[in-house]
Amino acid sequence: MSNSVLSVISRFLEEYLSSTPTKLKMCDAYLLYILLTGVMQFLYCLLVGTFPFNSFLSGFISCVGSFILAVCLRIQINPQNKSEFLGISPERAFADFLFAHTVLHLVVINFIG
Amino acid sequence: MKQQSLQNTTCVSLPNFWPLLCPLIVLLALLHVNSVLSNGRTLVLLDNINIKDTHSIFFRSLSDRGFDLTFKTADDPGLSLIKYGQFLFEHLIIFSPSVEDFGGNINVETITSFIDGGGNVLVAASSDIGDPLRELGSECGIEFDEEKTAVIDHHHYDVSDPGEHTLIVADPENLLKAPTIVGQPSEKPILLRESGDMVADPDNPLVLDILTGSSTSYSYFPDRPITQYPHAVGKNTLLIAGLQARNNARVIFSGSLEFFSDAFFTSSVQKAVPGSKFDQTGNQELAIALSRWVFKEEGVLRVGAVSHHPVGETTPPSAYTITDLVEYSIVIEKLSEGKWIPFSGDDIQLEFVRIDPFVRTYLKRNGGKYSVQFKLPDVYGVFQFKVDYNRLGYTHLYSSTQVSVRPLQHTQYERFIPSAFPYYASVFSMMAGLFLFSFVFLHMKEKEKSE
Repeated sequence: MSNSVLSVISRFLEEYLSSTPTKLKMCDAYLLYILLTGVMQFLYCLLVGTFPFNSFLSGFISCVGSFILAVCLRIQINPQNKSEFLGISPERAFADFLFAHTVLHLVVINFIG
Repeated sequence: MKQQSLQNTTCVSLPNFWPLLCPLIVLLALLHVNSVLSNGRTLVLLDNINIKDTHSIFFRSLSDRGFDLTFKTADDPGLSLIKYGQFLFEHLIIFSPSVEDFGGNINVETITSFIDGGGNVLVAASSDIGDPLRELGSECGIEFDEEKTAVIDHHHYDVSDPGEHTLIVADPENLLKAPTIVGQPSEKPILLRESGDMVADPDNPLVLDILTGSSTSYSYFPDRPITQYPHAVGKNTLLIAGLQARNNARVIFSGSLEFFSDAFFTSSVQKAVPGSKFDQTGNQELAIALSRWVFKEEGVLRVGAVSHHPVGETTPPSAYTITDLVEYSIVIEKLSEGKWIPFSGDDIQLEFVRIDPFVRTYLKRNGGKYSVQFKLPDVYGVFQFKVDYNRLGYTHLYSSTQVSVRPLQHTQYERFIPSAFPYYASVFSMMAGLFLFSFVFLHMKEKEKSE
């Protein structure tokens, strides 16, 4: 059983490292970073309690929101999905990404107290 | 000529009065001032005028201390305690145990309203006690036994007792432990005769058992065999009882009129069942100490200046803030020899109350006043600083100062909450990560191209 799981994981890693473009790999690294930050925040909240609940929510939502926006960017710039996003060039996707982030961070800074 | 004579008459009538009036006014003023400065006007009611002579030492000690004594027999028709709504006397002494009916305007209701108005009363009873005194006693929570009963003690009577064992020798151990009321403790025993005994109402918290009988004493008719349970037995028999009313008026009931007599002040005392002989009874010291307490020369406290302010400032703000540090100070004075001196007590408490006390602390002596520093509770509302001092023998001291405590202004909270620092850090790290990622993302193609 473990043998097959291990072999699947190693094959997946091989494929991933060889066939994905560098840009997408950068995006994945960024996503991993956001995920780790969000998980650490959540664990901290579980330990210490929700005392400044608004601060917790805004910190967590900034992580979650950034993750979602980065995933959207990754989908839109993936050359394999070009057929689904005919009118949207990668530059346009990146511009949308930045605009949405501006709004997100404005809200987060306002809510963090 | 006519006009001149008229002028003469009008000029003469007015000024002629002034040389007579001026000294009269000054004299009246002096008399009034004199009565205010003295220890108090006292009405003494006696059964018969002989009592004034048989109790001369006691009365002389009172007048030496500045009391203005007025002696009247109890059924004098001109007696009156109150006139035009003002009390004529500050104190009342009733040395007429067998009176059936007071004369003039005095009866039990007027005496009770005299006490309600702050007047102090000293009453001496005996085994022949009349109805008015019995009623007065029950108004004050003291129940007298039937007429012709006396306190009998077959183990503590004097050698000169005629046989009925009613000439009782009371030990100073049976005195109430309160130096303000009974003076300094002494070894000398106390002599009483034919005491019309008393029992205190057990539900009344204001009655003081000043001198109780020993555990072998009881109250019954001295000349009859005992057929029913005596009215008072053992330590429940009260020989001298007192009361301090809630308005600080003081009343003392002494079971025996002869307790105050010259004969008992000066006689020697020896217990018949075996006892050492004392050359003098302790009656005089006890009577003087009791008279000092009951006529408000001793054990009187008053509140002076009360001040409160935040620590570090000198004036109180219009409203305190929660968790402020506050200093409260109060001046308490005691009357001693007619002068107010600072009181020295070590158990005065301050309560900081909003319906229930939130803070309760002792006050410490600090120079001439009592003060304490404490932190206001984390609760806002309208509070009172309360000092409520009620001790045996002293007047009831009560002082209440109201202050308001408001919650923090919105600018008085901490700006950044330490326990939320990880969240602040994560938000800024998100922004930094975004900046780095977009920098790298935008310049990425160039790198590839360059490779």
